[in-house]
Amino acid sequence: METEDDLCQNNWGSASILDYEMAMEEGESDLQVFKASSGQDNNGQANVDVLQGVKAQAWDPRTMLSNLSFMEHKIHELQGLVHLIIGRNGQLQDEQQQLITTDLTSIIIQLISTAGSLLPSVKHHHNMSTTAPGSALFPYPREANNLASQTLNTNCGDLDLPKPIVLEEVHEMKNEDDAEEGENLPPGSYEIKQLEKEEILAPHTNFCTICGKGFKRDANLRMHMRGHGDEYKTPAALAKPNKESLPGSEPMLIKRYSCPFPGCKRNKDHKKFQPLKTILCVKNHYKRTHCDKSFTCSRCHTKKFSVIADLKTHEKHCGKNKWLCSCGTTFSRKDKLFGHIALFQGHTPAIPLEETKPSAGASSSQSGSSGCNNAGMVSFNLGSATNANQETSQPGFMDGKINFEEPFSPLSFDTCNFGGFPRSIFDDSESSFQMLISSACGCSHINGGDGSDSNTSV
Amino acid sequence: MSPSPSILSVLSEDLLVRVYGFLDPPCRKTWRLASKEFHRVDSLSRTSIRILRVEFLPVLLSKYPNLSSLDLSVCPKLDDDVVLRLASNGAVSIQSLNLSRATALRARGLETLARLCHGLERVDVSHCWGFGDREAAALSVAAGLREVRMDKCLSLSDVGLARIVLGCSNLNKISLKWCMEISDLGIDLLCKKCKDLRSLDVSYLKITSDSIRSIALLPKLEILEMVNCPLIDDDGLEYLENGCPSLQEIDVTRCERVSLSGVVSIVRGHPDLQHLKASHCVSEVSRSFLHNIKALKHLKTLWIDGARVSDSSLLTLSSSCRSLTDIGVSKCEGVTDIGMTGLARNCLNLKTLNLACCGFVTDAAISAVARSCRNLETLKLESCHMITEKGLQSLGCYSKLLQELDLTDCYGVNDRGLEYISKCSNLLSLKLGLCTNISDKGIFHIGSKCSKLLELDLYRCGGFGDDGLAAISRGCKSLNRLIISYCGELTDAGVEQIRQLEHLSHLELRGLKNITGAGLAAVACGCKKLDYLDLKKCENIDDSGFWALAYFARNLRQINLCYCSVSDTALCMLMSNLSRVQDIDLVNLNRVTVEGSEFALRACCNRLKKLKLFAPLRFLLSSELLEMLHARGCRIRWD
Repeated sequence: METEDDLCQNNWGSASILDYEMAMEEGESDLQVFKASSGQDNNGQANVDVLQGVKAQAWDPRTMLSNLSFMEHKIHELQGLVHLIIGRNGQLQDEQQQLITTDLTSIIIQLISTAGSLLPSVKHHHNMSTTAPGSALFPYPREANNLASQTLNTNCGDLDLPKPIVLEEVHEMKNEDDAEEGENLPPGSYEIKQLEKEEILAPHTNFCTICGKGFKRDANLRMHMRGHGDEYKTPAALAKPNKESLPGSEPMLIKRYSCPFPGCKRNKDHKKFQPLKTILCVKNHYKRTHCDKSFTCSRCHTKKFSVIADLKTHEKHCGKNKWLCSCGTTFSRKDKLFGHIALFQGHTPAIPLEETKPSAGASSSQSGSSGCNNAGMVSFNLGSATNANQETSQPGFMDGKINFEEPFSPLSFDTCNFGGFPRSIFDDSESSFQMLISSACGCSHINGGDGSDSNTSV
Repeated sequence: MSPSPSILSVLSEDLLVRVYGFLDPPCRKTWRLASKEFHRVDSLSRTSIRILRVEFLPVLLSKYPNLSSLDLSVCPKLDDDVVLRLASNGAVSIQSLNLSRATALRARGLETLARLCHGLERVDVSHCWGFGDREAAALSVAAGLREVRMDKCLSLSDVGLARIVLGCSNLNKISLKWCMEISDLGIDLLCKKCKDLRSLDVSYLKITSDSIRSIALLPKLEILEMVNCPLIDDDGLEYLENGCPSLQEIDVTRCERVSLSGVVSIVRGHPDLQHLKASHCVSEVSRSFLHNIKALKHLKTLWIDGARVSDSSLLTLSSSCRSLTDIGVSKCEGVTDIGMTGLARNCLNLKTLNLACCGFVTDAAISAVARSCRNLETLKLESCHMITEKGLQSLGCYSKLLQELDLTDCYGVNDRGLEYISKCSNLLSLKLGLCTNISDKGIFHIGSKCSKLLELDLYRCGGFGDDGLAAISRGCKSLNRLIISYCGELTDAGVEQIRQLEHLSHLELRGLKNITGAGLAAVACGCKKLDYLDLKKCENIDDSGFWALAYFARNLRQINLCYCSVSDTALCMLMSNLSRVQDIDLVNLNRVTVEGSEFALRACCNRLKKLKLFAPLRFLLSSELLEMLHARGCRIRWD
């Protein structure tokens, strides 16, 4: 269990490492800034060295040796600086203090990154255990911090490094697909980590130490590494790091994550703190909850997302939400709508609106005084030929959205004139034919009888 | 008849109302013509009305202020506009509204009606193929609805059902037969929201066992009908074993996937079940079924048509369920005289017995049933070929309450048999189709004694002729339905006699080659109430007959003119004059041209609901006519 202070230091270490990674990815310009700020020639030289080390490192022992000697050199430099601080005995000018701090930071970062570049060879050759843990594969705050503090405080190359770099990777891979869900771990039974905002928002967490390319998954990085030489094609190098390679005796403390946003329920300072399970959970949580929703759906132009995967999921179904509730909520599936309706009192399913359009067309042509002319254009719409527009009981809801066509009135039939047919064919019983019969048969006109049938059945 | 005014003045209004209450419908018509006072009593007392013509609707509604039941199911030209006009006539106190087959009525009109009738409790919109979700939403405005019948509302989907369910939460009876779009989701919502449901019909729906699970949670459900639900299986019925505590009637007829074990699970869970209809899904009456059905002491109806039933199981069954009144064992293998005799001994209260297609049942069984079950009202013996006059003799002797007798395709029936049957003077319905051994002599007995007869089916009874028909026309004055199709001996002389049947509404004259215009004219003249007329293949009827029909048969609603030699003008006149015509078959009219059809259809297109036409006409008739027919809610079948 770590104290709060430890965690804070963690944050410092990991943040700086991550910053550096981002710089690596984005190109040299940031490094140049870095160099300019360092202000010393040899530091600038070192930066270039780092750059070369990262870019052109070949994974043979010779490179490793040169890396090691570079680190040796740097450590000596660091020692010198620390001695200087001790010599001055804390009586430093503000400017000097600042300069020295900058120097220290730059040297330590170089050390860490170079040590990190040694990392894959650590996997290869287990005997070379004196290499520093890297930022390259995974930001490993605690160890990095240890390293930094050790280098700072103990002033020596006695880097007693913890081994579970591989462990951490496995941990991440395994939990990547886990859903964020409430679990009831008793407080204290797990280790809380808190990543900084920048770290969370970094697009990649796995970096190629040769070309600097970033990857989200270490499996992709391993695939990528094959391109850098045959030694990365061995089964051992390509294998997914798994638990068997771990020292099984060590008890594994469960790790949980805290959101850096103050006041968030996922923040460790919150009263009802609920830890996040994995790094991925942290990332998605932070983006969804505390970041701007910058991705807008290209179809509906209303829904916004901060996680691009969410946008893609939405776009897949956008526009297909044809199941509509009276409350305005749309559903892509009918059963979801019915579940919603069953749950909420007073909600009713809305009738789909598409049907109104063809019927409106039909009615307009029928109500025209020359109904025959445009009849060809009209398609039959059995379901809703007449005034299918009365959306009852939620007039308010519908009114805002659609313009109802003029309701079709059967009365308008009467005005139709069918191609010279001798009379209005929709007349009631008194028709010209009847007159014809009366005269032709000579029969008297007998009324059809009582209009109603004497049917008393209920 | 001129009752002295003094006698009438003694009778107070409430006494008159009481007297009126005892009258049957035909007498009421006479009553209201008697005097102004009587007419007033009639106007005030009448609570239900069936409208035949929409023109009279406003007048009739204002004339009868206390109407609670309005039947518009046979009313042509009923559309939104009529309803809107009706709305301006003032509010109506209608509780029960029958809009069956009102295909031209759409959401706007329905909503008006639903708003207009505040006390609306029962609505029937069955067979309105245009009734969809929008219409359902309109209807759901009537929040007080308790009974809704929506059979064959083909456009109705779960959404529409949900609207009704949510709008009318007091529903206690709903029928969704043939609403093919309804799925489990709709049924589930219905069962969640309408806890008062007492009667539910989900026949022919493609619902699965999930629906049954929802239905099983209905605490008050008494009647559940699910005829021919092809996806429901025994596992679904198991939910019912512990659900629906009030269930009294269940119908699982023709559910393909339901077997005996499913039926047994229903029986096990409901010892108070009264009606069990499991025709054509139980393959055999097994020991376990018998064991469980014994527990049903109150069972009144048992239909196990199509199952294999042995004599012993029939005996066991009847000895345990002695209160059975309705038994259906049609098409059951293994039903013999021994079983039926035993059943007759045990079930003395039997009222309805269906023995159709039980080929081994003979006179002995019928005699036993007639002797023991004196309350027998309905007996169906279709295709029981071993029945002869001996069996019918005991029927005539003992079954004085017999109302309905189906002897279709029993060729053992002869004139002597009919003489015996005629002793059943309460007979209302007699079916003698395909009984070729009967002649004028037998028919004469029926005509002279069965004066209450309402329905007579003589389909393809080739043995009788004009004299027989004349006897029927003379004797069975209240006859409502008469089927004399393919009775080849009949000529004009006989058919002309039909005109005496004033109450005739359904007449089938199919395939009578000998009748001409004169015969048809006589029928049209006499039978004022004629509503259904089938003239298919009456090839010798000439235009004079159709002219008469056009002029006199003003109440004709459905007519079949296939293969008739009607001319263009006659057809036009028929269609324009028959102001109630709604359903016509016009296939194979050799003398009618395309123009003739077009004009004829234009003349009646505002009242047609169903139309069968020669397929090539689809492309020959004008598109605006077809379109208009669709808009008015007419369905066309192209043949």
